Amino acid sequence: MIKRVEVNYRGIFQKNLGKKIGSDIVMIASRMGQTAFSNGRYSDSPERNGIPCKYFAFVSPNLSEEELEAECGAKLEIDDANISVVLDDTMCKGVEPWGWHGVRPINERVVQDGCLLVVSKKKPEELLKFIGKKSYNYRLAILDGDASLAGLWVNKDDLTHERILGGIAAIDPAVISIEAVEAYLLEKTKDKRRADAARAAYESLRQEAKPPRVKTVTPNDGIVWTHEIPVLPKWFEMQEGAAVPAVKRGFEIGPRGQSRNAMFKRGTTKTQRPAVRFDLCTKCTLCWVECPDECFDPTSDGYYDIEYQYCVGCGKCAEICPVKECIVMVDELQFEDDHSPWEHWKKDSKEYIAWVEEKKGKERVSYPAVTGKGITVTQGVVMPEGKIVPVRKTEEVEV
Amino acid sequence: MSVAVAQTKSDQSGVYEREELLNGCQAVAHGVCLADVDVIAAYPIRPYTEVMDALSKLIADGQFDSEYIIADSEHSQFEIVKHASSVNARAFGGSSGTGWMYGMEALVVTATDRLPPLFVVGNRALDDPGAFGVEHNDAMAVRDMGWLLCWVTTPQEALEHVLIGYRIAEDKKVRMPMGLAMDGAFLTHSQHMVKIPSVEAAKRFLPQYDLAERRLHPDNPISIAPQINEDWVMELRRQNWEAAKRARGVIKEAYKEFNDIFGNRYAAPYYFDEFMTDDAEVVLIGIGTVAAPARTAVRRMREKGQKVGYVNLRWFRPFPTVELRECLSRFKAVGVVDRDFAHGSPDNGGILMHEVRSCLYPAKNRPAIVNFMGGLGGRDLSIADAQKMYETTQQAAKKDSMDDFVTWIGLRE
Repeated sequence: MIKRVEVNYRGIFQKNLGKKIGSDIVMIASRMGQTAFSNGRYSDSPERNGIPCKYFAFVSPNLSEEELEAECGAKLEIDDANISVVLDDTMCKGVEPWGWHGVRPINERVVQDGCLLVVSKKKPEELLKFIGKKSYNYRLAILDGDASLAGLWVNKDDLTHERILGGIAAIDPAVISIEAVEAYLLEKTKDKRRADAARAAYESLRQEAKPPRVKTVTPNDGIVWTHEIPVLPKWFEMQEGAAVPAVKRGFEIGPRGQSRNAMFKRGTTKTQRPAVRFDLCTKCTLCWVECPDECFDPTSDGYYDIEYQYCVGCGKCAEICPVKECIVMVDELQFEDDHSPWEHWKKDSKEYIAWVEEKKGKERVSYPAVTGKGITVTQGVVMPEGKIVPVRKTEEVEV
Repeated sequence: MSVAVAQTKSDQSGVYEREELLNGCQAVAHGVCLADVDVIAAYPIRPYTEVMDALSKLIADGQFDSEYIIADSEHSQFEIVKHASSVNARAFGGSSGTGWMYGMEALVVTATDRLPPLFVVGNRALDDPGAFGVEHNDAMAVRDMGWLLCWVTTPQEALEHVLIGYRIAEDKKVRMPMGLAMDGAFLTHSQHMVKIPSVEAAKRFLPQYDLAERRLHPDNPISIAPQINEDWVMELRRQNWEAAKRARGVIKEAYKEFNDIFGNRYAAPYYFDEFMTDDAEVVLIGIGTVAAPARTAVRRMREKGQKVGYVNLRWFRPFPTVELRECLSRFKAVGVVDRDFAHGSPDNGGILMHEVRSCLYPAKNRPAIVNFMGGLGGRDLSIADAQKMYETTQQAAKKDSMDDFVTWIGLRE
């Protein structure tokens, strides 16, 4: 018997976190007398910012190390996951990895009665608005928290690593038990806080926990997955000489007017997207000029529409925009589709402004980088249509 | 001298314009000129250097119009050739020994990008020690990379194989880089009378280079050689594999067309020449200029009633598996002459021996095989050496033992 755990993580930001979780599953399962090993999906390019990647851990009570490796280690991707960990809930919108093909549902590999374990502040219904339907029941467990950057060298530890181990113990003690997790963490780190964090996470995901944080997902839950998974050409159907036809050339003014690569869009790389107040735009062109992924389409009236499918959420446009509140980065899970913001605004500017302001939210927190301190917007007032006035107050907070 | 040359009709109604005394390098330069090559990239290393000298002189004298670029190293030189080829320019490069190895990265990708420039390799021993003389290991380094690889034995063949080489390499069914190898000193620097084809005849034989859908041009935007992973590489390797297989047929077509225009210059099966093999019991097989002393030895031994023959292997890649198997399985013993080394390989033999022996493995009648390592680092291989090799091979035909499987020829011992 083999239990397979996959850890979906964001390239570079969570690479070390994903790897450490895989390693510790191996160490803890081994101490429990099981055979285990861990590896990463080699075709990923996990040094790229935000790209969805995977780490794996495999545990077996009865197979030899060589057999376990032959079953699991000789393959680059797994077919089945008993537990699929998601370290950033925005990946619930689908993942388009570097070395794989198509935008894939986050629960693609979860087996019947398996578990999708997501670190999130959201409720199950909010996540299931984005997750593809399965033909069988599985569980959705939500471990309370934000997407952790603690694996990145410069960021403060937030114990997500230990909490995931506790969560896995609650979901399937046959992989790792909470006692073994606690004993291992105590022995390794001599830091009771870490064992306690694992225990707290374990308690929060137990069946008896209140409120319950593990939901059984049925074939009725979730959405119909619309992204087609490309079928790769046979050797005689491919252009010879490692030559690939370029994106068909063409350019028109207006939404989606630029020719773009239909085979690889990269949009699932983002955790935030730029929300635009066109009424405040001065048409300075900087967002269009600076965007590294050429996501901005010039419109006939001199504005710049955004093609979100190709936006990786780098935030450069928001940074370069000289008008406060004109371009603001917003949590990707606020948006259910990639419709053209400019068309939306043209259709009904008042409705659009109300919509976009609601998405932006009145209380925003910027993530604490390095120091553990962040910025929060404490008093939100919507900037009136077409006017640029200082309206929001911010203060520094400890997060 | 190959038998084929002797068969040349004296006058093919003006297809040969004039005769000149040329060494191998100069003959190649004239071939490049007749192939109307668009881009030449050059970087000196002996013995190849004289090819670039001769080309620049042809251009300077107004006999030839071509882009001539001096690169800063072989790596850049080969990259220039590769890129020129990708934009549909007929391109030419060349090198020798360690220079060839220095540009290896570019040579490998030229094959995987399936581009058909022609490179001449003036065979030279690999450093260290620094040595000018011939050894085949330099050209052999590309043998498994998706290259066409052939050896010529006279300046006349060298000139003609520039035309034949481009004809095969640029064929839509092939599109592989062409390595035209010739022995340093013994061919690169020996002068012979060479019949130079007329421009008109060369044009008739060699069609325009057309990379068609893979031509890199603003009107045909493509990406060449993107980063790919395990989900694409095997399909590309298979394409190369198929092209190398298809090349065998195209080689035959090319020689037939060449014979049609220039007279019966080359005899089937084209990949190799047989000399006095009809009733032979024992043959030697070798590559390059060792053919001359070997064939002379055959003539002299034949006078004494000994049934010996010589097989000169011209095409090494693609390897003429079926034809050579059929040929060599007729004999009692085959002596393989390697002007290369493969240290520590099975039975410590040379590269050619391994290829020949592997080719013969499925044959119904397998001849005895012995291996000779000779002429390394440019040491000469004499008629007497060849006679000694024949005698050893004759002895091998009579016994079963594998003792003394490899014999070093011309070694001080």
